Amino acid sequence: MSPVRRLPSFLCFLSLFCILYLPGASPAQAQSQPQPSVYAITHAKIFTLAGPPIEDGTLVIRDGKIGAVGSSVNVPAGAQVIDAKGLQVYPGLFDAVTQMGLSEIGAVSATVDTTEAGSYNPDVVAATAISPSSEHIPVTRASGITEVLAVPGGGGGRGGDPGILGGQASAIHLAGWTIDEMLIKKSVAMVLNFPEIQTQTFDFTTFSRREKPYAEAKQEYDRQINELTDWMDRARHYAQAMEKGSVSKYDRDVKLEALAPVIRGELPVLVFANRARDIRNAVEFCDKQKLKMILAGGEETYKVKDLLRSKDIPVILRPMLSLPLDEDDPYDRLLSQPAELAAAGVKFAIASFDNSFARRLGQQAANAVAYGLPYDQGLRAVTVNPAQILGLGSQIGTLEQGKIANVIVTNGDPLELTTDVKYLFIRGQLASLENKHHRLYEKYLNRPKTSN
Amino acid sequence: MRLKLLCRCASALCFAALLMPIFHPRTAHAQGGEPQYFAIRGAKVFPVSGPPIEGATVVISRGMITAISKDAAIPAEAWVIDGKGLNVYPGLVDAFTDVGIPAAPAGGGEGGGPRRPQERSNGPEDRPASTPWRSGADEANLSDKRIETWRNGGFTTVICAPKGGFFPGEGAVLDLAGEHAGDMVVKTPVALPLSFQGASGFGGGFPDSLLGVLSYVHQVWLDTDWSVKAQEIYEKNPHGLARPRYDRTEATLAEALEDHALVLVPGNNRVQLRRALELIERWHVTGGIYGGQMGYEVAPEIAAKKLSVLVDLKWPEGEKDADPEAKPSLRTLEFRDRAPSTPSAFAKAGVKFAFYSGGLSAPKDILKAAKKSIDAGLASDAALRAFTLTPAEIFGVADRLGSIENGKVANLVVTDGDLFDEKTKVKMVFVDGRRFEVHEPEKPKDPPKGDITGKWKLSYTTPEGAEESSADLVMDKDGTISGSLSSPRGTANIISGNLSGNKFTFTINIVLDQGATDVTFDGTFEGNSLKGSIAVMGMSLDFTGVKPESTASGATVQGGAQ
Amino acid sequence: MLHAGRARSILQCLLCLFCFSYSAIAATPPDGPSVILIQNATVMTVSHGTIEHGSVLIKDGKITEVGQSIKAPAGAQVIDASGQFVIPGIIDCHSHIAAEAINEGSVSVSSMVSMEEVLNPDDIDIYRDLAGGVTAANILHGSANSIGGQTLVIKLRWGQPASKLPFEGALPGIKFALGENPKRSNFSVPGQPRRYPATRMGVEETIRNAFSQARDYKKTWDDYNKRVAAGEKNLIPPRRDLKLEPLVEVLEGKRYVHSHCYREDEILMLLRVAKEFGFKVRTFQHVLEGYKVADEIAAAGVGGSTFSDWWAYKVEAYDAIPYNAALMTRRGVVVSINSDDAEEATHLNQEAAKSMKYGGLSHDEALKMVTLNPAIQLGIDKRVGTIDVGKDADLTIYNHDPLSAYAVVQKTLIDGRVYFDREKDLANRAEMEKEKKALTEKLKKAEKKPEEKKPPEKKPEERPKPPASSATPTAAAAAPGGAQ
Repeated sequence: MSPVRRLPSFLCFLSLFCILYLPGASPAQAQSQPQPSVYAITHAKIFTLAGPPIEDGTLVIRDGKIGAVGSSVNVPAGAQVIDAKGLQVYPGLFDAVTQMGLSEIGAVSATVDTTEAGSYNPDVVAATAISPSSEHIPVTRASGITEVLAVPGGGGGRGGDPGILGGQASAIHLAGWTIDEMLIKKSVAMVLNFPEIQTQTFDFTTFSRREKPYAEAKQEYDRQINELTDWMDRARHYAQAMEKGSVSKYDRDVKLEALAPVIRGELPVLVFANRARDIRNAVEFCDKQKLKMILAGGEETYKVKDLLRSKDIPVILRPMLSLPLDEDDPYDRLLSQPAELAAAGVKFAIASFDNSFARRLGQQAANAVAYGLPYDQGLRAVTVNPAQILGLGSQIGTLEQGKIANVIVTNGDPLELTTDVKYLFIRGQLASLENKHHRLYEKYLNRPKTSN
Repeated sequence: MRLKLLCRCASALCFAALLMPIFHPRTAHAQGGEPQYFAIRGAKVFPVSGPPIEGATVVISRGMITAISKDAAIPAEAWVIDGKGLNVYPGLVDAFTDVGIPAAPAGGGEGGGPRRPQERSNGPEDRPASTPWRSGADEANLSDKRIETWRNGGFTTVICAPKGGFFPGEGAVLDLAGEHAGDMVVKTPVALPLSFQGASGFGGGFPDSLLGVLSYVHQVWLDTDWSVKAQEIYEKNPHGLARPRYDRTEATLAEALEDHALVLVPGNNRVQLRRALELIERWHVTGGIYGGQMGYEVAPEIAAKKLSVLVDLKWPEGEKDADPEAKPSLRTLEFRDRAPSTPSAFAKAGVKFAFYSGGLSAPKDILKAAKKSIDAGLASDAALRAFTLTPAEIFGVADRLGSIENGKVANLVVTDGDLFDEKTKVKMVFVDGRRFEVHEPEKPKDPPKGDITGKWKLSYTTPEGAEESSADLVMDKDGTISGSLSSPRGTANIISGNLSGNKFTFTINIVLDQGATDVTFDGTFEGNSLKGSIAVMGMSLDFTGVKPESTASGATVQGGAQ
Repeated sequence: MLHAGRARSILQCLLCLFCFSYSAIAATPPDGPSVILIQNATVMTVSHGTIEHGSVLIKDGKITEVGQSIKAPAGAQVIDASGQFVIPGIIDCHSHIAAEAINEGSVSVSSMVSMEEVLNPDDIDIYRDLAGGVTAANILHGSANSIGGQTLVIKLRWGQPASKLPFEGALPGIKFALGENPKRSNFSVPGQPRRYPATRMGVEETIRNAFSQARDYKKTWDDYNKRVAAGEKNLIPPRRDLKLEPLVEVLEGKRYVHSHCYREDEILMLLRVAKEFGFKVRTFQHVLEGYKVADEIAAAGVGGSTFSDWWAYKVEAYDAIPYNAALMTRRGVVVSINSDDAEEATHLNQEAAKSMKYGGLSHDEALKMVTLNPAIQLGIDKRVGTIDVGKDADLTIYNHDPLSAYAVVQKTLIDGRVYFDREKDLANRAEMEKEKKALTEKLKKAEKKPEEKKPPEKKPEERPKPPASSATPTAAAAAPGGAQ
């Protein structure tokens, strides 16, 4: 089919898409009237994650922050009171690796902005391309997730070529009329898809598996590492020149400039690696380059747990509901890993690494608990730990006075499958739990019965 | 219908050959002017059909074995060979191979003729990748250098079939010598091998998966059945009947089945082996299995079906170039460990089995692989039988070869010790009563300087333009070079070569339009580069070689040669 | 299969396609006593409520008694399941495990191929799914074709040969696929022309055309058989056509149609085509927009087998909602939750639980989604799907309420045999590691021998060199000039 002929049909398709879907899509924040700025949630069991749970407690939200929390907190005058008797209050869940707002429909490339072309894109920033109107945002929010890290450069997904330096990940609230309202922090980490020695490759263009000799794979790996090292050396030189003020505006290099905070150790690298060897190589690399490393993926972290603990490197784990990497691995290899890491003192978060499966975040953590992780650690792995690992611990992740009021009120354990979120606050504002799925449910629930 | 090829009697052809001019330029190494009578006196003879006889004499007359006993009368005209300290075995049989069919140049060539690229197939009716009419007998050619290689290793006979596709073609029993290609053919067709590999892959034509391949083969057998029936009915009374269409695949298969060719079904692991058993039953054909390496798991089941198995002697083992951190699974390790015990499991269960070379390219390795089976519990006389009488039985030629008996074809191998002992050397081989002496391969004069082992990129300019080949060289401690060479024209194994000092030479045999020819590479070797010339058909080209793996470390990359 | 949203599982499926030879481990079927009593358990029968402190008695692979207090017969093995929960074994109505190939994707109608012929009993995913409580699965061909391959139901009898996997007596099926996959919206093969069909219109015509041919084929054979019966001689029989025979079986009601579908329009399309040719659709698979036409599906008596909460991996999944199962159930469709993926199958209990959250189904209704309902859809509900006397003892035992994310499978029984036992699995791990280590050492030693031939001047810092092996061609015996 010629491109000329394809274009009209493609436009038709687009317009169809708009008619069908866009009018139904409400803005991320579905409130029409200005909200009060002070709330008091009373008579709730409050899990602050900064201390023991508070029975029959009160949480005050004021000007977007947590104003007070405790069992003997007074309800401020003018506060909108939510009587949460029988309900429980938690910090909103934090999904530490997603492609939220960057990818709408996986198979339609026009709706996907996760991965820039080329291997080295340290200058691109997720926040730039996040669509506040993405249907994924309200759907994810309804499951109790209040903030996420939107990750460019493949975002830890598999398949395709995600490049090596993927760009900067942005932490966002899952509510806001514009990206500016949604932003927690624009640049949270630099994505580094760490090169692997890959002897088994899959060629998507011919749909065939290729077996590469080890020597060849190693050579390719060495080439990539040399290239990466070269980038770091140039960035270091550039950063020094910047400090001395010798970089004039005419020889600015946006890519090297983006790497400067990485070199200075201010911006952590979010290193995607799964196999033990790749993790070891990454640790060695980051050590040598004096980079602040956060491991992401980490399916074989259990093999290098002592190394990670000794270097104080945290890990954001891929979903445990995944098949083991190797045939001989125990069937619950990934499910039991969090318990093993917790026992070894490795700091970790659990993330969805996805959009449409983001709402399984609680389920993932619960499954880790089912396979031996202490419950409170499971809860922390999707709340306070991601906040701390991503350097946002002072702002978010627990219910403490002064922190951003991202709060959920539930009728039970937020990790359990059947628990409902009753109220959800983002930046101290009550956010809608309504979404595309719920709308379609209501619509078709009320379809008149047809008589056949 | 094509003319039916009836069994060809090798002895008759041999006799005819004797009356022909004795020198043939294409086969310079062929034996001429030699005695037709031999007597090996005082050797230890392993007839296979009976127990070994110490100090026996074997008499060969005009291609036949005419006497075997301690006091056999030696004809006056016989060339007497002192067999003291020698062992005499029936010539070995490689029970499934394409040795005898010279490698086709890249792009195909069906028995000499060009093979057209297969058009995209849309279903079984397009008969994808099926050439059952090809035949080891028709495509056998003395120019295949492997014939000599195999023979020097003690192999006098092969079951030779073309390769490629789901119905690659018919297998024939070939003796590995002759004046003309036809001299080699002992019997054809004896086998109809199938292959389940070579599906087009995702997105290609039908079939692109094992699913499709199996359904395709089912349909072909049904069609063949139908075509026999339909032809018969039509021939009897065509009046008022729609004329059944001719289909070359159906016609050839029908004929081969009528000839009782053994349908060879692939099956190596236990899942495939059990599947093969079911397929053979479903198809109602006289079947056999090739592969067989996980037979240690399913031997009794195979025995119950009374099926013969050709055992692939290229035992599973770790990849040479494997990732050191990639740990093979337990089941993979178990398979590697236990595969060589399959023959003994077959022997115990009463499964009839024969050996074949599989992916092995040196006869020495074939025997070494068999030795592994002996180490894993197989009696050495059973191993010998799997190389001789059993394959002869499986392919219906035990009446003429496979053992040392009066009246059988004089296919013999004479060694200076136990066949399966690594130190043992093959001293001479008789094929159809012709004597071939085996000489030690030429050894390098000087010890090798350095190790030429590795993957090399060779660059040269042919009259058609610049070309590149890759050579995968393996050097022994003594400087002997083996390996293979791949060019746009195809891949060929190195048939001889060595590194003497820093001078290397190696030779491959390729098939050009004019026929098979040797190509010799020689020159000097230094670190990461080769420099020298290629000699082919009296021409000479310069070439250079580099190790692409080490270009980073400073070796210079040469462009095409001048 | 082929959901862009699960790149990993696609990859695995695709890898599967190319994985021909698959070696095997020496797993032996567990031998068990013929009489087993499970006691002190919370028995969720699915058919007649939950029995606290209940017992299930198994004899020769069948359930012979279910109740509150059953005395252990002499010689019975007693499984004390105090604090544990017993449910009927989970049935996965859409699986691609245990097969060496999934797709014959070359043609639009691949009804000639059969999953039964490529069963791979050594697929480790069988064991992993067993460990997730699955006892039976509908093994489907892929969705690359409007009409795909023949399918079958298996029991997950890990360790048994392929011939022992098929669910005895279960009617075979055939896979259909509608929408983006058969029309190949989401991928193309470089250098290949577009394959027909490339639209949903073409998908309909492909199916109609195939059934027209099948109808003619059947008629040709019927005519032939009639003429033979009438004593006519000298007739050439029709050719057998393996592509059309399964379609004739569909027309005759001897083979179930399991159709992959997404959008409401294509669901109704297939119902129309089925009506035109007089066959039944047994299940709609995925059927993510089933909630939009639930009345029509219910009226046609077709089952719906769907995902819990997958969505947005492609356009036709953009209107997918987690309420689908509940909405279809409310309108009278028999609904199951399936996996389509070896991993998803390991927690189908959890996926079923989501229908309580999304749409408010009851505990029993949710549990049915992975037990009785898929059994009904596959026509095996007389044998499995509930805990009732006379049924196969296919049972899964959890340590918690199975509709919780904290439930872990403790034991899985098929035909009254324990095929998965978590305790044993944990206990065997060290042994397996040891065995593997020993074997690795042994093989390394065996392969080291030819290494001696290697030239000694090699320095260790040189690039890794392939270790010599007995397969390395040596030229010693191959030199020419041996016979002058």
